Amino acid sequence: MSGSKLASVEAGEASAAPAPIARKTPFNVLIVGVGGQGVIMVSKVLAALAQWRGFEVKQSEVHGMAKRGGSVFSHVRFGERVWSPTIAKGEADVLIALEWAEGLRWLPYLKPATGIFICDTKRIVPPFACLNRKPGAPMRYSRETAEQVANYVAEGYAIDATTMAEELGNERAANVVLLGALSTALDFPIADWESTVSEFVPKKTIAVNLEAFRLGRTWIAEARSPAPATGTPPLLPLAEVPFTPRLEINAAWCKSCDICVKMCPERCLRLNDDRIAELANPEKCTGCRLCEWLCPDFAIRVHLEAQGKAAEEAAR
Amino acid sequence: MFTDAPNFDVRDYLRLEMMPHFLCPGCGHGIALRALLWALHDLAIDKDKLAIVSGIGCAGRLSAYIDANTFHTTHGRPLAFATGLALARPDLHVVVISGDGDCLAIGGNHLIHACRRNLKLTCLMLNNEIYGMTGGQVSPTTAETRLTTTTPLGNNEPSFDACALASAAGAGFVGREVTRHVPKLKELMKAGLEHPGFAFIEVLTDCTEVYGRKNELGSSPEMIMRQKSDMRPSAYRNTVDTPFHPTSLPTGILMQNDRPEYGAAYRRAAALAAAKGAKK
Repeated sequence: MSGSKLASVEAGEASAAPAPIARKTPFNVLIVGVGGQGVIMVSKVLAALAQWRGFEVKQSEVHGMAKRGGSVFSHVRFGERVWSPTIAKGEADVLIALEWAEGLRWLPYLKPATGIFICDTKRIVPPFACLNRKPGAPMRYSRETAEQVANYVAEGYAIDATTMAEELGNERAANVVLLGALSTALDFPIADWESTVSEFVPKKTIAVNLEAFRLGRTWIAEARSPAPATGTPPLLPLAEVPFTPRLEINAAWCKSCDICVKMCPERCLRLNDDRIAELANPEKCTGCRLCEWLCPDFAIRVHLEAQGKAAEEAAR
Repeated sequence: MFTDAPNFDVRDYLRLEMMPHFLCPGCGHGIALRALLWALHDLAIDKDKLAIVSGIGCAGRLSAYIDANTFHTTHGRPLAFATGLALARPDLHVVVISGDGDCLAIGGNHLIHACRRNLKLTCLMLNNEIYGMTGGQVSPTTAETRLTTTTPLGNNEPSFDACALASAAGAGFVGREVTRHVPKLKELMKAGLEHPGFAFIEVLTDCTEVYGRKNELGSSPEMIMRQKSDMRPSAYRNTVDTPFHPTSLPTGILMQNDRPEYGAAYRRAAALAAAKGAKK
């Protein structure tokens, strides 16, 4: 797991007039997360620090998703000369993800051979992952485990930054924990990091944020030590509760209005020869109850039965 | 979004001997009735403590199918009957089911004064934009240019915004929802039933057999699907050129305030008067 091009972790003095470090090709850092987590703040700290160190910095971002809880990313490139403000696929040296699924979404941007993937295991489930499910069925959230992802990246860390920050007393410092983790991949003196972080966080939270920064830094140092402390908290698979929907259709009440047939999201109902609603494709029915709700004649009732019990009854 | 209702069976709240109901195929009133019964179930309101008062019309007929204390009154007057009932029996949950013609035209004055008094009542106005039962005459909420039996060249009267009227008249709770969104409609009805003052809820329902057929709005599923494109939350405004409903209509809880409830004030005044009489 040890990266050859990683800088050592020793602390350095904040230099008053930093000398630019020769870096012919730009260094690319991609920071991703969900709106409101602090993606932009992390990229600002990094960009400001790189600028202070004498690099040319280009940063571009999508913002405004904070209110919508949407996908937010920020590209930070710095080097002697930087032309493009965005990172191409397969070009990111470091990918910092503040949310698990967002991290996976951006994995193709990481350099395949040398890229470093640092990801918070925090899961923010988007609303679309919850749609059209059977009750108790798993959400359509990414099911990859940290171990599986590790096979795809040159160097990867799944860090439970949110819990670490929570333990420090401020959940919102999770992004700074990741910033601390990021700092190990760059050869900037730690004092410069800390002074830049202090500039960008609210005054009241400087202490907790600096602590979070150090925590993230030491966590990576420990994870990189030869002991197999990969620090991958287990992602618990969600229990799948099998349900079989069963439709009870009262033919005497059905008035053939066709609403259930046309409104069914799975198109699994039809009108039979007597123009009475019937379930044509029971295997496609998800038990969403839309037909029951929209039937103006109360002719449909959806029963959701646990599969085991239903099987038992069928056997009787 | 999945909302499971394992314990709710609408048949527990229906007079099964009256079923199937007389409403036309695809009539939105049935959906509104389900939402009301579901809301009553969710709030665990005892059927013996529930009084449904309705007027005349397709919507007025709904009370006959509910297994509770029901009162099918004269045209336009359910609010007047319900006011008396709620004052005499404050222990009852009084729900008025009324139509757009019943509530806004024939009973228009009862509506504004019920709003003004702010007595604890829940008034559902099922707005299908037409007098369906009597043969498809124009109603106060019929959209402009729409054809009805009394407007064969198209309606040229502007239509009524019942929620704006109720808000202006002083109702404590005003809300609007479409029948397509049944769980949202149920939640709105729950909020209305729990409100301590007068709650006015407009439910936009489809009249497919009369209004829809006359205006060539398509079959029942087409009409109910059009609710989605035509009746969006106000924030999105209406983008359809020939909407089923006149303008973009805001839905959800439109107004909620805590004006003093009339019943309590009335009983206080009555107790005071009784005490005075006893002194003499």
